[in-house]
Amino acid sequence: MESFFTRYRNLLVLLAILGAQIVGLAVQVRRTSAGHSTLDPQDAPSVRLIRLWANALVSPPERVIQSSTMDSGNLWQNYLDLRHVREQNTDLQKTIDRLRLEQAALLEDARQGQRLQALLGFQEKYIYTTVAAQAIGSSGSDQSRVFYLDKGSAEGLDRDMAVITADGIVGKIREVFPHSAQVLAINDQTSGAGVILLTTRIRGILRGNAAGQPQIIGILADQRIQPGEIVLTAGGDQVFPRGLPVGVVEKVVRDPERDSFIDVIVKSAAHLNRLDEVLVITSTQPRFSQQQQQDLATSEALKGTEAEAIKEQQKASQIMAERLPGLTDANLPPANPASAQPGANPPAPAPVPEQGTPKPLHPLHPDRFSPGSAPAIVPDASPKQKLEAPTNARPKPVRDHRTSARGGSATRPPQTKPARKP
Amino acid sequence: MSVLGANFRRDLDIRRYPMLIYVLAPLVALVLQAWLPRVLRNHVFFDLPLVVTVYFALGRRSPIQGTLMGAAMGLFEDALSHHAIGVNGVAKTVAGFLAASVGIRIDVENFNIRLVLIFLLSLLSSAIYVFIYSVLLGLDLQWSWFTELFKAVGNSLIAMVLFPLLDRLQIRD
Repeated sequence: MESFFTRYRNLLVLLAILGAQIVGLAVQVRRTSAGHSTLDPQDAPSVRLIRLWANALVSPPERVIQSSTMDSGNLWQNYLDLRHVREQNTDLQKTIDRLRLEQAALLEDARQGQRLQALLGFQEKYIYTTVAAQAIGSSGSDQSRVFYLDKGSAEGLDRDMAVITADGIVGKIREVFPHSAQVLAINDQTSGAGVILLTTRIRGILRGNAAGQPQIIGILADQRIQPGEIVLTAGGDQVFPRGLPVGVVEKVVRDPERDSFIDVIVKSAAHLNRLDEVLVITSTQPRFSQQQQQDLATSEALKGTEAEAIKEQQKASQIMAERLPGLTDANLPPANPASAQPGANPPAPAPVPEQGTPKPLHPLHPDRFSPGSAPAIVPDASPKQKLEAPTNARPKPVRDHRTSARGGSATRPPQTKPARKP
Repeated sequence: MSVLGANFRRDLDIRRYPMLIYVLAPLVALVLQAWLPRVLRNHVFFDLPLVVTVYFALGRRSPIQGTLMGAAMGLFEDALSHHAIGVNGVAKTVAGFLAASVGIRIDVENFNIRLVLIFLLSLLSSAIYVFIYSVLLGLDLQWSWFTELFKAVGNSLIAMVLFPLLDRLQIRD
């Protein structure tokens, strides 16, 4: 027995280590209800511990290399920057003057937009606070597009925070350590960000492909999508605020797995291969200045006052409608049953203000087709009598047609008011 | 007798290094593997931890040491990525074991043989990685053989520079 272990010692050690790693892999992977295998988005404590050790081992030297590289590079760069600095100063001053004017106009527009959005009840997210961080390292593998920042939980960073640059989005924080953080770039195969095409308003999910290019997947073939179209964040993924630049459409290719779908290859706005300094969005609460908050409060108060006034008007209209039953229900039974009998004289109608009564316009030159000039219907009259009826059987003019409706009469007496000149 | 002879020959050829080298070389390989892609704009056509693993496995000629070193380097690489921990570990464990096993039987002083060996073990490591990730775990992975081929060539080029450099650091009686 002893000779067996001695003889196959190497092989047994190999099998033991391989077996332990395979068991560890099996624990990390789980099967979804659809039958696909997937990695747990959140690491188990033991796995996280291993990542923490590796990060603690590698991050400090990376930090030293990064800072020393930047220092030596800056020394030469500073010398180069000092050349032609006077001309550049003049140019920059002109640019600043122009930008100030533009900024003033844009600030006014932004304030107006924020007020309007708040009044409309949008739950819009605004970037509130950001933390600047330095990229210090990567995973070292082209299958894992992650990189590391020199800031961690001690600086307020947390999982699923968006990482951006001035050019566009970069990724999101996947794992956070005390003084460093792992960022999953948008061009990784396992990343996902909700995006929208600016012109066509087509939404999709952005993820990376094997070549490290971000692409929008899962959208139906659409001829309108053209190279050069701007892609923005859609804001539905709870990570990236809405409207941040993602990039532009580079080309459209067919989805190799699904015929009717296409993949839109995106050229990212941020330089994902040359990242140095990035911004981490640590809070996305609405951001308003003191003045804007006061304006919003005033607008809300005014809106409340207007709402109360409208409610009062509606209440008064209802009371008025109840007092005018002809307006509310024409089929109500008559209040006095005697007046409904044929031959009985209808009671004198109550005076009604004319401002609420709709009346047809009177023609300037009335003929037999004009409203009100048609003969009244005589049930037992002969055709000859019917022809003579307009002159003999014209009833007395009634002041308001609503009285006839109240009495249940089918005929409507014509109005004999003279035509008014406009 | 033949076994004793083989062990005797192996003991004669075992290379020894200062303890600092055993610690620093893997650490530097891991740090550079993580840092260089930033400088090279994410063009990762090399695998420094594999090169160091193969070098020490060939030099030490101990399959157990090669296995342990490969496992440690692979696990650290996995820990720095966001993938499952163990995929690179298994690949480099096998590579370290095979390098040490081959190192017992062939003359590893020949520079060309070492280059061919690092090239073949790089391809094998990539194949094991893809097999575990796609087949064993069933995870979605897009990859290209050209990339893996370039990586194997890159490892051979790095080995051309690194192996003679590390050879100078060994302890000579």
